[in-house]
Amino acid sequence: MATRKVNFKRPQNFLFFLNLLSLSLVILYNKSFDRLSVGVVVGLTLTIYISNLLLLKISSGDHYLLQIVSMMMSLGIIMIYRINPELGFTQVIWYVIGIMTFYLTYFIIKKITFWPKCMKLYIGASFLLFLLTLIFGSTIKGATNWIQIRGHTFQPVEVIKILFVFFLASYYVNRNKFENKYILSIIVYLHIGFLFIQKDLGSAMLFYMVFIVIFYVYENDRKFILINIIAAILMAILGYFAFGHVQIRVEAWLNPWSDISGNGYQITQSLFAIAEGGFLGKGIGNGYPSFIPEVQTDFIFSAICEELGILTGIAVIMLFLILIYRGIKISLEQKNQFYRIVALGITLTLGFQTFIILGGVTKLIPLTGITLPFLSYGGSSLVMSFAALGILQVASEYIYSEQEENYEQGTKEDN
Amino acid sequence: MFDIIFSGLSSIFRYLFILLIYLFMFGIIRLIYLDIKGIKNKEIRGNTYLKLINRKDSLPFKVDEFYSLVSNVTIGRSKNNKIIIKDPYISKKHAKIIKERNQYFIEDLNSANGTFLNSEEIMDAAILKNGDIITIGSINFLFVTEQ
Repeated sequence: MATRKVNFKRPQNFLFFLNLLSLSLVILYNKSFDRLSVGVVVGLTLTIYISNLLLLKISSGDHYLLQIVSMMMSLGIIMIYRINPELGFTQVIWYVIGIMTFYLTYFIIKKITFWPKCMKLYIGASFLLFLLTLIFGSTIKGATNWIQIRGHTFQPVEVIKILFVFFLASYYVNRNKFENKYILSIIVYLHIGFLFIQKDLGSAMLFYMVFIVIFYVYENDRKFILINIIAAILMAILGYFAFGHVQIRVEAWLNPWSDISGNGYQITQSLFAIAEGGFLGKGIGNGYPSFIPEVQTDFIFSAICEELGILTGIAVIMLFLILIYRGIKISLEQKNQFYRIVALGITLTLGFQTFIILGGVTKLIPLTGITLPFLSYGGSSLVMSFAALGILQVASEYIYSEQEENYEQGTKEDN
Repeated sequence: MFDIIFSGLSSIFRYLFILLIYLFMFGIIRLIYLDIKGIKNKEIRGNTYLKLINRKDSLPFKVDEFYSLVSNVTIGRSKNNKIIIKDPYISKKHAKIIKERNQYFIEDLNSANGTFLNSEEIMDAAILKNGDIITIGSINFLFVTEQ
């Protein structure tokens, strides 16, 4: 009875055992018992455990966010390690960098208080990154949204996601100073236009969805919101007829079986993999996830379903649901208007991103290349997701308003 | 041979993994449930407590709806008080509530703006009765003791 009580109070214990067991199994599968692999297993398990304990000491806010994310993260690493040990090792390094970014962002965002005042900086930085991508961008997997620096590639759009949320938040905080909904929507549509030029349809959809929800929550002019939605639908129809790559995506979604060896190959292989797994999955190492192209990034969910079963797949979706629930609750409880909108924006970004890719791999909506946050392989995606989580962690705490702070400093001398 | 043993091992382990993942989620959901339940249960905290009279959202600083008075309690703006309220009109160490022989006393700790009991300033210490209104800074508390 006593042990049971202790166990349930600390869900990270389950995570600890899961990591230890599954990573050992993966090492067994890869037949690599060298010092490096053992180091990864022990190191990763301890890093996850300690980083969760550390957060309890540091932050007075929400303690569930990092635990939920650690669980998703572990499932991702297990799968990537099993698919390709080299990529798995890189992912572990990215994870460690991600955790450091999480704590670093947490302290930076908390220390600096002038975030709502630099709206123009956010817009400028976003457009600078977009222009850099246009000029220096290299095309990988059909989308021109990568920048290569000495062999290292990164996706600027991951940074722009956070800048975009900050921009919307600072606009609505300072709305009485420069409220102009037309300029706001022009800037937002410019963002989406740039993404469309880069052929990054998933991100374009994501930005639009985040924008329209925040717009719906904070804009007073109801008619203008409706006009925006109608205009977007018209633009989507126009885009379908004007661009060939949109047509291919939609056709592969409506009937992938007609071109099973060509455009429909990826999505049909994903469906086969999910079906093959059944309820309990094949077991790690017993499936064939590498049949799906891009399995380690966009299609990680199909691989998890195949080898660990649809029950784990449902668990992944439920983990995201809990994460989004916590995010919305943080946003509702936060008194500071800026952090309120930022928390909502980040939660929406994570939520819609999950919806777009999970809908894509299960053939619910047309497939667009976008990563599954915290699970997919990819450095910039992972690090920026952790940065977003760090901001959400700050938003979950009580933030003293500037007036209070000033008074605190002014009255230090009394009694 | 290795492959057969491994695939067998892996098929057994998958049950364990799913079990662990769901236990973890159960743990998280249980903690969240306790968290939500705790918010409601704060209303019933012992027999004696301070109840906030001001509307909570009219105050620009953090203050709870209820403060239980289980043992001796100090009120003030600095961090080493039991009840911390960041009101600018409250001193670092403002007042103290003491329990002695089933009676509650409130004592002013030489605060700058004073402590008021039923809108009369307390000079040293005063006995608290059920239904008394304590004014500290811009905050009004109702003293409740149920016996």
